[in-house]
Amino acid sequence: MRNPFRDEAAAFRLVLLTIGYFALIVAAAAVSRWVGLAMFVVLTAFVVRRLMSAPTRPTSGAQRADVEDTPAEKPGVES
Amino acid sequence: MSAHAEAALHGGEHHGPPAANQSSRIASVTLGMFLFIGTEAMLFGSFFTAYFFVRVVNPGATIITPEKWAVWPPLPYEFPVFVAGVNTCILVTSSFTMHWALQSLKRGNRAGMKAGLVLTILMGLAFLLTQMIEYAHVGFNTSDGAFASVFFGLTGLHGAHVLIGLILLTTAAVRAFRGHYSPEHHHGLELPGIYWHFVDVMWIVVYVTMYLL
Repeated sequence: MRNPFRDEAAAFRLVLLTIGYFALIVAAAAVSRWVGLAMFVVLTAFVVRRLMSAPTRPTSGAQRADVEDTPAEKPGVES
Repeated sequence: MSAHAEAALHGGEHHGPPAANQSSRIASVTLGMFLFIGTEAMLFGSFFTAYFFVRVVNPGATIITPEKWAVWPPLPYEFPVFVAGVNTCILVTSSFTMHWALQSLKRGNRAGMKAGLVLTILMGLAFLLTQMIEYAHVGFNTSDGAFASVFFGLTGLHGAHVLIGLILLTTAAVRAFRGHYSPEHHHGLELPGIYWHFVDVMWIVVYVTMYLL
């Protein structure tokens, strides 16, 4: 799952998606409570399925610190 | 002796603590904001838990409605749905102006960035002012029942977050007018923008669950 707050554009996209998500639920609920509940279940399932199937970005190598904590072994010294 | 002179004296070697090990693939400042938003989302989650609990065991449920559903809020109280709806429009619009400010900055349009920032701050202030007026005229206070406590708790918590966002944005605006930020260095504006969109998302959730549904 990609971080929805990784940058401002993604966060803004989340705002628009949230508006759409709840607008559909409210519109359905205006027809009937059960229709609203069904819309909530369907939309939430769709969102969850979409998040679970989203491709994950490959992890890059960690940036190493400038200082090595473990001193190099001297030749001839048994570990 | 200055740091530059010292470095020159020692053949350009860096003195002082080494750079911190960065184990995340995203920038540390962005990670910090993301973690902060995560904690705030959990805080809102706890308030929503209280809200849903109160609503389910609402003592007004004994009132029989034509649909035989519980009354929310309990009679004779009413939530100011229209005023909150106007507030919602203001806050959503402020997200658009915030996005405009960031996009302008990334394109090198400083006038657009400043305009977007100022508009966002003004709309945020309008939101808070409207909420304060709404509190004064809502017709109940925190001692009128659990529903009132939940109402003021959730909306007040969100209002506090709007205030924090306005402080961040004002700081960013001051820096913007001083000539800071560039298309290459925009983290100082992007992070408050991310936080502002989070605040907007939270308000949409609060408004829909508390006022509409």
